[in-house]
This record gives sequence, C-alpha cells and structure tokens, in this order.
Amino acid sequence: MNVTHAHAPASWPPDAQYGAATPGKIGMWIFLVSDAFSFGGLLIAQGILRSRSPEWVQPGEPALGIPFTAALTFLLISSSFTNVMAWAAAAEGRRRAAAVLLAVTALGGLLFLVGQYVEWTTLLREGLVFGRSPRASTFFVTTGFHGLHVLVGVAYILTVLGQYVRGRATAHHVELLGLYWCFVDFVWIFVFSFVYLMP
Amino acid sequence: MSDLAATTEQGPRRAARRTQHVIVFVVLGVLTLVELGVARTSGIAKPAVVTALVALAVSKAALIALFYMHLRFETRILRLTVLAPLVAPAIYGLVLIAESAARAAR
Repeated sequence: MNVTHAHAPASWPPDAQYGAATPGKIGMWIFLVSDAFSFGGLLIAQGILRSRSPEWVQPGEPALGIPFTAALTFLLISSSFTNVMAWAAAAEGRRRAAAVLLAVTALGGLLFLVGQYVEWTTLLREGLVFGRSPRASTFFVTTGFHGLHVLVGVAYILTVLGQYVRGRATAHHVELLGLYWCFVDFVWIFVFSFVYLMP
Repeated sequence: MSDLAATTEQGPRRAARRTQHVIVFVVLGVLTLVELGVARTSGIAKPAVVTALVALAVSKAALIALFYMHLRFETRILRLTVLAPLVAPAIYGLVLIAESAARAAR
C-alpha cells in the first residue's frame, strides 16, 4: 500500500466550508487556538505586572542574554523550516527524505532545550530566581511553559517518526505534527519579543 | 492547503511550494535580525521601539501561520475559525495593560 495516498481525496468528501481539511486537522487547530489563549494569558499577566512596576529589573538581577536567545530563536525557525520540508517530502512520497528531515527537526528541538537549560542555569547563578521578583517569576513561568511545549513536541516528532519509518503514519500525520511544531515557533516569536526584547 | 490536496499536487507546483518555503525561511531570518537591531539600537523613542517590535512579531507569526501552517491555502472559513479568536487576547491585553499603566501613573 502506498501510505502517502492513504487519505486519497475520493475517500473524504470535501466539505462546503472546510474544504478537504480532515477532522484531525480541525481538531488540532482548535487545540492550538485554545493553547494560544494560555500563552496570551501569561504574556498579558507579564504586561500588567510590568506596567505597574516602577522598577521592572530589580537591583542585582542580571540582564537576559539577547544574542544567545536570538540564536535559539533562529534554531527554532530553522526547525520549523525542516519540519515543513519534511511534510512536503512526505506528501510527495519521498519517505527517506521525510524521515531524515523529521529527525533533524527533533534534533533542533533538543538543541533548543539544551540552550534553554544553559540559559536558565546561568541566570539562576547570576541572581534571577523564581519568586524573588515579578520579572523573574513571569520569565520562568512563560519560558518554562514554552519549553514544556518544545519537550512534548520533540516526543511527538519522535513518535510520528517511529510510526512513519514503520509505515504506520502518513503524510497526513506529518502535517498534523507540523501544525503543532510550527505553533511552538509561532508562540516563541511573541515570547522572544515581549519577554526578551521589549524595552 | 489541505493534506489531501497536497497528495495530488503536480510536480512544478510542488517545486514552487518548496521555493516558497525557502523564501519564507530567509525572510524570517532577516526579520529576526531586524528585531535585534531595533531592540539594541539606542536613541530610538520607546513607543517607536515597542510598535516596531510588535509589528515585526506579528509579521513573523503571520508568515509562519500562513505558509508553514498552510493557512493561506485553506478555505476562508477555516482561516477565520483560527485567526478571528486570536484578535480577542490582543484586545484584552491592550486594554488591561493600558488600564493598569494608567492606574499606576496616578
């Protein structure tokens, strides 16, 4: 069986409003929108606390490492790129290329987590400690929540990769995975801007 | 574009889509550099920096959603289902943060 055509157009009648989008895809989008609200709540909370704080950076607290985090941001963007190329390869039936690109995407996610670990331990050592200031608490909660999403994403990629290599997953599964992984990048763009770059 | 349509795409269209992915990747990289430049350049008024950073973040997120998450190729209803609710947190955030800042300034 050609697994890339397991979901042939004829097997799923196009809906008048949602086109050929499968229930799986619509379900994933609904989950992602609700997850976006969670991140929105965290960023709004940070904005409110910051707007009420006469001195956002407390004495003795370190500055955030913007160049290092910019490199992590680029790493995440790169992993979104490899992910979307993996989906394109899967849709074209180039299974080996799709598997390699998925593995590279997972590696990108792992490297991002290693980078975040290094950043956290450095900041903790320098005096940015959860609970000591609104800046520290919102920083660790927001980046931690995002890091959890990256960790789940890496596990998701490896699971789909394993299934795909064994012929149990299709291009459709790779696309659903891609929606989740690109959402992780989508959210990070706002975290990077609001937590790290805002003056 | 849906996954179903993807399986039936023709070769030249697939190649064009791959080229599009590469272009979006390059633009995202350039916009990240611009963000860094805006954030680290001194002498720019704070409201201008904030406006620029928000605009850059929204632009980058839109590129990801439209091209890498394929929303551009979905039906209008699906695009609205996803994008319309995201306007709400932006409005809540703007109102709540402005209100909080105004009370703090009193």
